[in-house]
Amino acid sequence: MSLKPGMSTYDVLREHGVDRRTFLRFCTATAAAMGLDATMVPRVVEALENKPRIPVIWLHGLECTCCSESFIRSSHPITQDIIFNMISLDYDDTLQAAAGRQAEEIREALVRDHPGEYVLAVEGNAPTRDGGVYCTVGGRTFLDILQETAAKAKFVVAWGSCASNGCVQAAHPNPTGAKPVKDLISGKAVINVPGCPPIAEVMTGVLTYVLTFGRLPELDRFGRPKMFYGKRIHDKCYRRAYFDAGQFVETWDDDGAKKGWCLYKMGCRGPTTYNSCPTFKWNNGVSYPIQSGHGCLGCSEAGFWDNSSFYDRLTSIPVPGIEATPELIGKTLAVAAGVGVAAHFTSFMIKRGIGSKTENVEDGKD
Amino acid sequence: MATRVERFDPSDVAAQPHRYFRRKYVWQWPIRAFHWVNAICILVLFATGLYIANPILSPTGEAYGNFVMGRVLQVHYTFAFIFIVNFLWRIYWFWMGNPYARSGFPFVWKASWWRDLFRQAGDYLALRRGHVHLGHNALGGLVYTLFVIFLGWAQILTGLAMYSESNPGGFWSGIAGWVIPLAGGSFQVRMWHYLFAWVFITFSIVHVYIVFYDGQQYKNGLVTSMISGVKFYQEGDIDCDNWIS
Repeated sequence: MSLKPGMSTYDVLREHGVDRRTFLRFCTATAAAMGLDATMVPRVVEALENKPRIPVIWLHGLECTCCSESFIRSSHPITQDIIFNMISLDYDDTLQAAAGRQAEEIREALVRDHPGEYVLAVEGNAPTRDGGVYCTVGGRTFLDILQETAAKAKFVVAWGSCASNGCVQAAHPNPTGAKPVKDLISGKAVINVPGCPPIAEVMTGVLTYVLTFGRLPELDRFGRPKMFYGKRIHDKCYRRAYFDAGQFVETWDDDGAKKGWCLYKMGCRGPTTYNSCPTFKWNNGVSYPIQSGHGCLGCSEAGFWDNSSFYDRLTSIPVPGIEATPELIGKTLAVAAGVGVAAHFTSFMIKRGIGSKTENVEDGKD
Repeated sequence: MATRVERFDPSDVAAQPHRYFRRKYVWQWPIRAFHWVNAICILVLFATGLYIANPILSPTGEAYGNFVMGRVLQVHYTFAFIFIVNFLWRIYWFWMGNPYARSGFPFVWKASWWRDLFRQAGDYLALRRGHVHLGHNALGGLVYTLFVIFLGWAQILTGLAMYSESNPGGFWSGIAGWVIPLAGGSFQVRMWHYLFAWVFITFSIVHVYIVFYDGQQYKNGLVTSMISGVKFYQEGDIDCDNWIS
């Protein structure tokens, strides 16, 4: 293929025989996917016409590749457009054809020849215990590769809960000392795109945004793009009306479950989870967990593995060695106070009873 | 310190009534208003909070015909904001009120405060009539500081943090949003808020009992003092400044 560095998305599309009308349609769809209004379409067109495609290095650390699996199912824009037209995906050990030494040379050359130009996308995180030996790629620790690649990157995109929050490998007791990307690198902007996996359209949307505008989207206090993580599942849930009405599923096979009532009492994490599931849904907008009748697990929130059972409404008290719910502790406190009060009152009445008897006897003597 | 009248001796009462029947206006109206508004808020917030944590009602019919959880949340939020305003009002009155409004402050750096603390605890446990304090005694002051002021702040901040979650980056998020990462996530914030609610109720049980017990044992009109503002004492009882200074 005659793709030269410095070619814009439009150049690439023209080379593929795509006409301008189709290109404009693509720009409009891309703007819509990012949540931009129609007045922003010319900005997208201008950017894709003029800006050279950004080289991307996509690293895989401790992970399960569910982020990649999700990513390749994106439909707006389709992944094919992203990886062949919009970005120059130069290194991705899961998707690339090259293997072994040949593959590693591509990454090394990019870091050496294009410092500060490429975007580093990280899927998974790095174990830090024992020098990071629990994850090695090509004979080197992933921690080492991550830090080396991140040092010269333009900025870093942390794919999924592993890279953003640590996810399952960093859950208690975290045997390999796995840490999220933001804790392992310094001096680089990190976009966290949490989720296990993140929604495909959110992933492509984030990439499209940074490639179109050449800057980071607006991030919240956890480094997540506000446009995709700005609202709770609970606040966009189509079952919210049942929550407000007070109609809840009590067991998985009751009448409420059949009627599609709110899953709050079944441990749904909608009220504590920020993500776009109710908006984009999954698999080209087919469904999402709550729509399929199961509560949200809160997979895009930090520490979701450690928040008690997925079917509990409240987590247990984080006291080592004690497995107690706040309900149990609270009721124990209240009952103990009641018992203490009763004991004190009884002693008081007994003492007063004795006192008044003594007084009566004394009165009698008088 | 004058010697306290040790025993209620009817002949002495008749001879020198001024030693026994003394009264003083202690609790000003803002304190009394704070107390009852606070009590009502805590009861309403606890009751609605229990329902929010475990919504046991199950209305039938279509969702559009019901608004049970929505209404309970609305009441919870309303009383929460009344609680906050009332709470801030009490803090203002701490500075603006009479010395009794400040008598509950834990003077932990003063030996006299510690002595009063242990003496009062001993009096309660041994069922003795100790000294009537016109303001708060050291033990009472400490308990109110921990279980009304500190716990009140904890409930206000965790509550506002959850309230702010529907609009991250908004006004309330700016005020209380920092609580969420501090607690380790919004799921933990819920856990603490729920546990603290039970601590409030535990405090209330002990508080109500001690007030009735204290009033009965000391004959100081403690219960009615939160309505009238007046406390009764005998010669030799303690004005709050006596042990503070």
